[in-house]
This record gives sequence, C-alpha cells and structure tokens, in this order.
Amino acid sequence: MNSEKRPLRFHWSMSSVGEKWRGAKSRAAQSGIPDLEAHVDFCRRAEACGIDSVLTAFGYHRADPIVLASALGMLTTKIKFMVAVRSGICSPTVLVQQVNTLSALTNGRICLNVVGGHTPEEQRGYGDFLSHDDRYARTDEFITVCRAFWEGNGPVNFKGNYYHIENGRLNTPFLAADRSSPEIFLGGSSSQAFGLAMRHAHCLWTLPRRPEELATRIQAVLASGKEVGILVSMIARPSREEALSAAQSVLAEVGDRARRTHQDFARVSDSVAFTSTLALAEETSSDWLTAWLWTGAVPYLGAPAIALVGSYDEVTEGILEFSKVGVTQFLFLGWPDLPEMTSFSKEVRPRVLARYNADSELSPVAHIHEEAEIHHR
Amino acid sequence: MNLKFHWRLLQGGETIGVTRATGASQRATGLPDLERQIAFCRQAEESGIVGLLTDIGAAKPDPILLSAVLGLATERIEFIVAYRSGLTLPTTFVQQLNTLSALVNGRISLNIVAGHSPVEQRYYGDHLCHSERYARTEEFLAICHAFWKNSGPVNICGKYYRIEEGKLNTPFISPRRSYPELFIAGGSDAARSLAISQGTLWMRLADSPENLRSSIAPVLDAGKEVGLRMSIIARPTRDEAVHAAYELLAGLDPSMQDRENEAHFRNKSDSVSINATYALAEKEWLNPWLWTGAVRTHGAPAVALVGSFEEVANALIDYAEVGVTQFILSGWPKLDEMILFGKEVLPRVRRIEQASREQGRPLIPHEHSNPSYASRAI
Repeated sequence: MNSEKRPLRFHWSMSSVGEKWRGAKSRAAQSGIPDLEAHVDFCRRAEACGIDSVLTAFGYHRADPIVLASALGMLTTKIKFMVAVRSGICSPTVLVQQVNTLSALTNGRICLNVVGGHTPEEQRGYGDFLSHDDRYARTDEFITVCRAFWEGNGPVNFKGNYYHIENGRLNTPFLAADRSSPEIFLGGSSSQAFGLAMRHAHCLWTLPRRPEELATRIQAVLASGKEVGILVSMIARPSREEALSAAQSVLAEVGDRARRTHQDFARVSDSVAFTSTLALAEETSSDWLTAWLWTGAVPYLGAPAIALVGSYDEVTEGILEFSKVGVTQFLFLGWPDLPEMTSFSKEVRPRVLARYNADSELSPVAHIHEEAEIHHR
Repeated sequence: MNLKFHWRLLQGGETIGVTRATGASQRATGLPDLERQIAFCRQAEESGIVGLLTDIGAAKPDPILLSAVLGLATERIEFIVAYRSGLTLPTTFVQQLNTLSALVNGRISLNIVAGHSPVEQRYYGDHLCHSERYARTEEFLAICHAFWKNSGPVNICGKYYRIEEGKLNTPFISPRRSYPELFIAGGSDAARSLAISQGTLWMRLADSPENLRSSIAPVLDAGKEVGLRMSIIARPTRDEAVHAAYELLAGLDPSMQDRENEAHFRNKSDSVSINATYALAEKEWLNPWLWTGAVRTHGAPAVALVGSFEEVANALIDYAEVGVTQFILSGWPKLDEMILFGKEVLPRVRRIEQASREQGRPLIPHEHSNPSYASRAI
C-alpha cells in the first residue's frame, strides 16, 4: 500500500435516456423498447464529457442491459458500460460467457453493477422466490463462481446451496488491456450488501446521507480496502437561485401522481437502500440534509433522486465533502441528463479535480490498493 | 413460398476444412472475429442465404451478443440463435431475445437444442439427464410463448419453473411476426414431439428422402415445418465433387487425431441424433449423392450432398417433395461453398420451383409458419 490518493471517478446512469421524466412513471408504464439512437448520442456525449462509464440498469420494464451494451459498444469507442447484474436469473457460467463475449467485442469496456434485486414481486416474475437475505447468500455464491472463472486456474468446481458447477470451462476469456476480470461494483445499503461488497467488490454503491453520517456507515468497507461510491442526482447552475428554481420546477413538472407511484413502490420493495431513503425523505421536516443535499424530489422520483443542488461552487463543495469521508466514485443522474452532464463536465468537474488534486487533506483514508486478482499487463 | 436456405456462421479462427479436433481445441473459436464474420454475413446476404446459425457452447462466444453486433453491421441477414434450456431462466431469456429483436428489427429466429453433452451441461450447473432436459425445455418454451403472446402477466407453476405475475415491457419486435420462428433441433422422438408441441419447425440431420418420409410425417401432419441440417459439396461436374469430398479426408492429419477426437466427442454425448448419424455412416453412400464419409471426422452434420450443381439442386428438390422446407447448410470451406451455392445451385433450385408453380403444382403449397398467435393454437 502507499498513501497516494485514489483518483475520483465519475459515472452516469442511462436509466432515463431519451425520456426525461421516466423515473416519475410507474415501472409498468415505462417503455422497454430501447431507443438506440438516443442511447448512442448519450454515450458519445458521455465520452466527450470525460465520464468513465455509463450504467445500463436492469428491470422487467427495461431492455436487457448486456444485449443493449453490446450494441452500444459497437457504436462507441471509449466509454465503458456498467452492466447491471442480478443473481438468480441465469447460471453464473452464462453470465461469465456473456461478460467475456462483451469484453472481447469492446476491448474490455465493461464493468459490472451487481444488485440483489429490490422487489420480491419482480423477482417472482423471473422465477426467483428467495427472501432478501437468501438473495444475498445466493449472490455471494454467484460472484464466487464468476470469480473462479475469471481467476482462470483450470476448470471450475463449486458446490454450494444454490449452484453446483462441475469442471466448468469456457473458451472465451475476459479480454481487456489492463485487467483479467471486470471491475465489480455492488449496490445496496443493508448489512448483507456491505458484507458482500467487502468480500467481492471493488466498490460499494450506496445512497447519500450527510457526509458525517455516511462516514460511520462506510468505515468498515473503506477499512477493508474497498472503494465507496454514491448514486446521486445533480442540479448544478451558475447561481444557487437558479438551481433552487430548477429544483422547484422538477416538482411542479412531475406532480402528485409521481408521488403516489413511489409510495406504491415503497410498499412492495424489500430494498433497504430504497425504502430507507424514501422514509428519510418523507419523515424529515426539512428537505435539506445539508446546504447542498436535497431530498425534495425523492418522493416523486425515487430514492436515487437525492440530489446535489446549488451553484457550481456549492455542488463542487458537496462532492469534495463526500470525498473527505472516503467516497471516490460517483454515479450521477440529471433531469434531463444531457444538459446536466454537459454542465458538470464544463463547470463542476474541473473545479472538483483542481481542488481534490491540490489538497492533501481530501480523502485522507484513500489508498491505492493492490488487488491480487488484477494483473496489470 | 420458396425453400429457405440458411448457412452456418463462420467461427473465430476458423480455417479450411475445420474438424472438431482442429476447431474446439483452438482458443480462437472462443473469440469473435468481427471483421471476417461481418464480411461472411454480407456475402451470405449476396448469396441469397436467409439466416446464419450462431452456435452455442462453452467453446464459443455468447450467441445472443454476437448476433446483436453482427446484426448492427448488416441489413437483411437473419440470425438463427442456438439456445439451450437450463442456462437462463425463461423470463431472462425472453428479455434478452426481445431486446435483440428490437435492435435488429426482428431478424432473429431460434434453434433450440436440449444440449448434447451432460459433461458440458454441468459446466453451467445443469445436472439433468436427456429425457428430463427435454421435459424442462418443453416447460421453458411454453413460458417463452406465454410472454410472446403478450396477453397479460405470466403465471406458471411447473416441475422446473415457477413464474408468478411475470411481465416484460420489451416485446418481440419484427415487421413480420409476433414471436420468433422456433426451430427445434434433435433426432430423438422427444425432440420431434417438442417441435410439434412448441416449435414452428423440426430441424433434424439428413437421411435419404425415402427414409425421412415416415419420420417427418407426424410433424407435417401437425402443420409444422421440417428442416434439414447438412453439408454440401457442389462442383461443375460430379467427378470434381467426389474428388473434393475425398480430398477433404485426404487433407487430414495422418495421425488421425481428428478421428479420435470425434470419437471422444461422440462418447461424451447422449444425443440420439448424433449417435444415430454415426450408425448411418456405416454405409458411405446412402444414395448416389448423399455421402456420409466425413461424419467420423467432421461430426454428424457433415452428412453431405455431393454432386454436380444440377444434381445437388435436384437432390434439394427431392427433399422438398417429401415436405422439407428449410435447410441449414455448411461446406468446406464454409465461405467458398456458400458463394458457389448462391451462384450455381440456388438459381437452379429457384428455376425448378418457378416451373412447378407455373405447372400449378407448387413444391410448397402454402405458408407454413404462422407469424402470429392469432392464427394458431399452442
């Protein structure tokens, strides 16, 4: 280990590409037909904006993320795809074969966002009837099998409660210039999710809280040598007034129907991250967790709508405050995404990086961690 | 309706006359070779080929993703995606396939196999025996159909799958169909029954037209199509074709590793059709143009039509006369044989088809494969 700071990395979600208020609709009302042109435009803009990877989300109401990513990979050159993956819907061998195929098609421009599933009702539509805790136990086995394939020490043999693989082998290796396995992000806020991230992931995705509160929560994950990232929305404008007025118009545009949609969702979800964030937004008297962290849109657009709101300088401040408690990766959403990503790239990112790279006090707990499974060629 | 001809997609690293020994042992088959594969797809479009069979197996890249990227680089060619049950839950599979259809405007059909090797199935965590694999595939496809029918949430409680209120917001998208053509591949009675209950076509390995007649009758009676998977060696003259056939064997490694590897593959397999084709190959010529000589070294789909362009065209018409409507063909090398086929054999087939229509007795009387659920009961 050395004490060099970890670089900050910025990702963007494609969950609302081509449809600004997609997140305000119920899942049943969202289209699952991929708008290829809008996605390609988005990916190319993300490349120009210095975004590391774009998230292709998973859900019954969406196109399949890995098939979509392979199409987008053909039409782009630099951007990476963070493909959402759930255990319980395919054999781990199949997932590895698909991920490796995609790596070969895109020169390794793929990383994984492993999620446990957030709604029992949706899981049953896929034929998965496990409880929240059992889903995490299965996900643990699932990633263990996947990693055994990527480690490449001969045929894979594994016998667990959920998977039984005998002499597993695949001819398609994971291909990338600098890695022999994909980077694994793991999302969640439950203790099971944190444990799983510490065992298997490179980075935990969690939802934002006040930085000092988050610091306590993520301490163990950081201490285990893993990174922590937050999924957060953004409204950054030249002045605070403009940002606040943009935030208010979000609420005006989506309206009360969206609020009921997300109350309905909260009733059927067993995700700790989603339900606790919705409860937080509904229960606290103020919509402001800090001067720049706003929960006002959460009841309308869901848990990932906790937002950094303010002037470019204030949003910069917010990102740096998170970096001080050890957060080094950010997965953003905007309303709509394209203009927000563009102003982030022009106004916020340069401010953040200049101060982060200059200030030795920022991110005091970060280390560049030598991970055994990554072989630098 | 005309006969439909498909071809096997070129694989990564593939060279002339590839056998299982030279093929599966090459790490290259696991990698897509986009430049050559895209060129192959475009040539297939030029040559009048309808679809390309995209293999599935632990030695190959994933066929759904490969079809997506090849589909984006081409205009007309369809992809016959090979798939097995026991790898993915049916909801996930339909979601992936429907996404693929949306990206390539429906240029997708399926070649469903039950899996030919218990050893390989265990790589994927599947430990069922041959008959159970068929029973599971039956349930798998019934669930796929329920999603494709798009008539409300899917509820199924079966022996292998249980789905509750299954929904997908991505439909199968195609200008012609509301669900993909479903080829069911396999020579066993179980495969044939599955083709009748869940498929649109039974895809089997070749035999002589007379021998096929009784085996395919139940499928035709059920209103489903029959297709043949076979190889072709067509040359200007019969002598040249027969010479090319024997050259194929003469070019093999004298150590006969190919024969040993193929025997090893066969010993691991519980496939009825693969083993039956080996039995068939005891006799080298099943009729004057149907040759089994390459089966022992090149595998069961190497039963080949060998002859002049005219003879091969007529042989294909003989199959049409007993009720075969589609073919998945291959040759050595795949590309050269496909070009010859498109230039020399296909125009001869089309002329005979045209003549039959003009005489008022078309070879294929009507459109078989109903494109939507409105016109069929499953």
